[in-house]
Order: sequence, then C-alpha cells, then structure tokens
Amino acid sequence: MNSTLLNNVVRFIALLLLQVFVMDEVNFMGYISPLVYLLFIVLYPVDNNRWSFLILSFLLGLIVDTFQDTGGAHAAASLTLAFVRPVLLKLVYGEGYLTKNLKILKSPLDRFSLLLVLGVLIHHLILYLLIYFNISQVLQVLQMTLFIGLSSIFMGVVLFVLFGWRNKS
Amino acid sequence: MQQIINFLIKYRNLLLYLSLLLIALVFTVQSHSYHRNSFVHSTGNITGSFLSSRSGIYDYLNLKEENDKLRKENAMLRMKALVTADTLLGDETTFLFSEDVPYRVFPSRVIKNDYSKRDNFITLDIGIDQGIEPDMGVVTTNGILGIIDISSNRFSRVISILNSEISLNAQIKGSNVIGSLTWDGNDPYMMSLVDVPRLAKVTKGDTIVTGRQSTTFPPDILIGTIRDAQLVENGSRYKIDVALFNDMTDIGTAYVIKSRDVKPLQIIDTLTTNVNE
Repeated sequence: MNSTLLNNVVRFIALLLLQVFVMDEVNFMGYISPLVYLLFIVLYPVDNNRWSFLILSFLLGLIVDTFQDTGGAHAAASLTLAFVRPVLLKLVYGEGYLTKNLKILKSPLDRFSLLLVLGVLIHHLILYLLIYFNISQVLQVLQMTLFIGLSSIFMGVVLFVLFGWRNKS
Repeated sequence: MQQIINFLIKYRNLLLYLSLLLIALVFTVQSHSYHRNSFVHSTGNITGSFLSSRSGIYDYLNLKEENDKLRKENAMLRMKALVTADTLLGDETTFLFSEDVPYRVFPSRVIKNDYSKRDNFITLDIGIDQGIEPDMGVVTTNGILGIIDISSNRFSRVISILNSEISLNAQIKGSNVIGSLTWDGNDPYMMSLVDVPRLAKVTKGDTIVTGRQSTTFPPDILIGTIRDAQLVENGSRYKIDVALFNDMTDIGTAYVIKSRDVKPLQIIDTLTTNVNE
C-alpha cells in the first residue's frame, strides 16, 4: 500500500468518525453542526481516477446519510461536489494545476480557503435543497446553507491549519 | 456501433455521475415519503451500534437533567398510584397488573434525535427483539414523540412528530372536538391542529391531547396548549397553533406504547369500508 492511498483511507475514516461522533453533536445555537467530512472530497489527490473518486464521494455521502436519516441528500451533494471539483480547481489554482503537481493540503491558506468556500457553497446548497425538498422553503434552505456553511468553512480552515498548511515565514 | 462505444467512453464520467445522482435522488424521494421500503436508515446493526456508543458518551453530559426529569415523573406517578390506591381501598387490586393490560409500555433510550430538518427521525435502542413493531406510538414524560417507522433486531426508527408526513388524531381536552396534528417544518416547539370545525369552542390556553380515535396512542396523552387560532378555507375551519409541552430538542428517554386493541380495531375499520362499498 503506497502512502497516498494509506493517507486517503485514514482521512476517509477519520473524517467520518469526527463527523459522526463530534461534529453532529455540536448543535451550536440549537442547529448549527459543521459538516467536515466533505474535506475528504476537497483534499482528494488531484491526479486521480475520476471513477473511483466519484464512487468514493458517493459512498462517503451515503454513509453520512445512514447516520442522519436523510435518504440520499448527502450522497447527491458529495457526488456533485466531486464532479465539479476540477472546475473549482481550475478557477482557484489556474489552468495548469494538473502539470504543477499540486498538493492541496500544502497550498497557501488563501487559495485553499477560496476552494473550500466554493465547495461548501455548492455542497450545502444541494444538500439543504434535498433535505427540505420543498420549493416554498427556499429561504430556510439559504439560511441553513449560510449558517452551517460558515461553521463548516470555519472548521475546515481550522483542520487545514492544524494538519496541512505550514507557514513559510 | 463504434460511435455508441465512442460516445460511452467520451462521456463515461458524466454517465457515472448521472447514474449515481439518480440513485441518490431515489433514496432522497423515498426518505420524504411515508413508506417503509427505504434502504438508507439508521437502524442497521453497524450504524445503530455507532449511534448507541455515541449517545453512551454524550449521555454523561446531561445525566443530571435527565435524572431530574425522571425523578419528577416518578413523583407524578407515585401521586397517581396513591390516588388509585385510595379509591380502590378495600377492593381487590390484582387486576391492575394482570397480563391483559390495554397498553404495554417499553422504556428506551434515544440514541439519535433530529429537529432541524423538514422530515425528522429519531432512533431508539430497542427493536424487534424487545417486541417493538412498526406503527407503535412513542411518548416521553411531557407528551408524544412520534410513531415507530422501521425496526431492526436491536434498534428502531421513529417518525418524529416534527415530520411533514405525520398527521395524528388529536382533540381539545375536555371536549370531543377533534383535529389532525401536523407540522409545517419551521419551529420545533410549535405544531398545528388543522381541520377543526368552525363551531368548535376554541380558547387560548386550552390543552390539546391525543384523541380517542387514535389507534396508536392511548387517549389523553398530553401534546401542548393552544397559542393562537385562525379561521381558514373561507372561514369554515380552524387552524390552531399548538405550543408543544415536549422540548423536542432535548430528549433522553422515551416510552414505546403497544396497544392491545390495534388489530381488532383495524379489522372493524376494514369491515365498515367494505360495507360502504
């Protein structure tokens, strides 16, 4: 087993456990529980096999769905995030990100934060649209996306600073 | 043929994405409908034991509040028992605990609770092995909680009253005015009692309890108080805002109620529909 694969297996399990055992119980202000498992999708190696990436993201979402009884909402949101990630990477790191041997976990904080904000926005919007599943409650969907999105971004940046990014000063 | 294969190869990622998305959407639609055939639920053995060990950890954080609640309930029940004992003075009392009680109560621990979604579910740590079946009612000290939805051997999922699919028979305490209790998906402390006739006497502050027509719940289980009422549908019916007694955001212990008379009542109900036809 090479180290990239091992890293990703550990990350998959660790983020899932962190999500289920810690983050789902935060309930800040009654309903704000950050979603950190999507960091797996954001941080997945750039030079990947698209198929396994899509399937893994789908499974990750589906596992979270079984814990939260949300049907397939997390799965759909995660899958879509994985599908559009190349577009986001192009936006954030420029056209030639594939040739530059990009490691997202080692990239500058501002670039990563931008990627995370875009990713969380797409993921949460789809997630809460499917959880509410009612077009008349679109305001609540936007409210949940905003507040829970902010908490997810905050936790994501905290984890990034703790485990990845090194200040080059 | 070659072109079809080329097409498939060219768009294989998109096709995979679309097919997986379709699966996820089917699961999502299933989770929003009142059906028992959903694949993705939290009562599986692995999910259940994870959730159970999680609540094993977090339960310690509010042991004190939970103990207080149970102590209060004990005191209440003790008072009721004393009243019963007093009125039954001299009579034979063995019937109180005979086998054939109309309602059997199973205590259980809540290992997962949701209240911020539109369709909320609760997971309990008892299941088929303990005698739990779908359609049984679930209550807490302060009022109703929901209806059993799916049971596995060791865990059960409850459709919370905070679920857009739920509609329960309820009535105003002390009268025979009935209505359906529903949730509009906004406030976990409020529900609505709809389809209440215009001529019914509705007073602010009146208590709402479960109705006698319910086969799931015993009658007179507390639900909440009337906060407000408006006439809807051209003034023909009331829509009553009910403030719940139960704090749905803070639930540790729940009781599942098994009614002795469900099956006979259901048979009677089907008989009448057949006659009408």
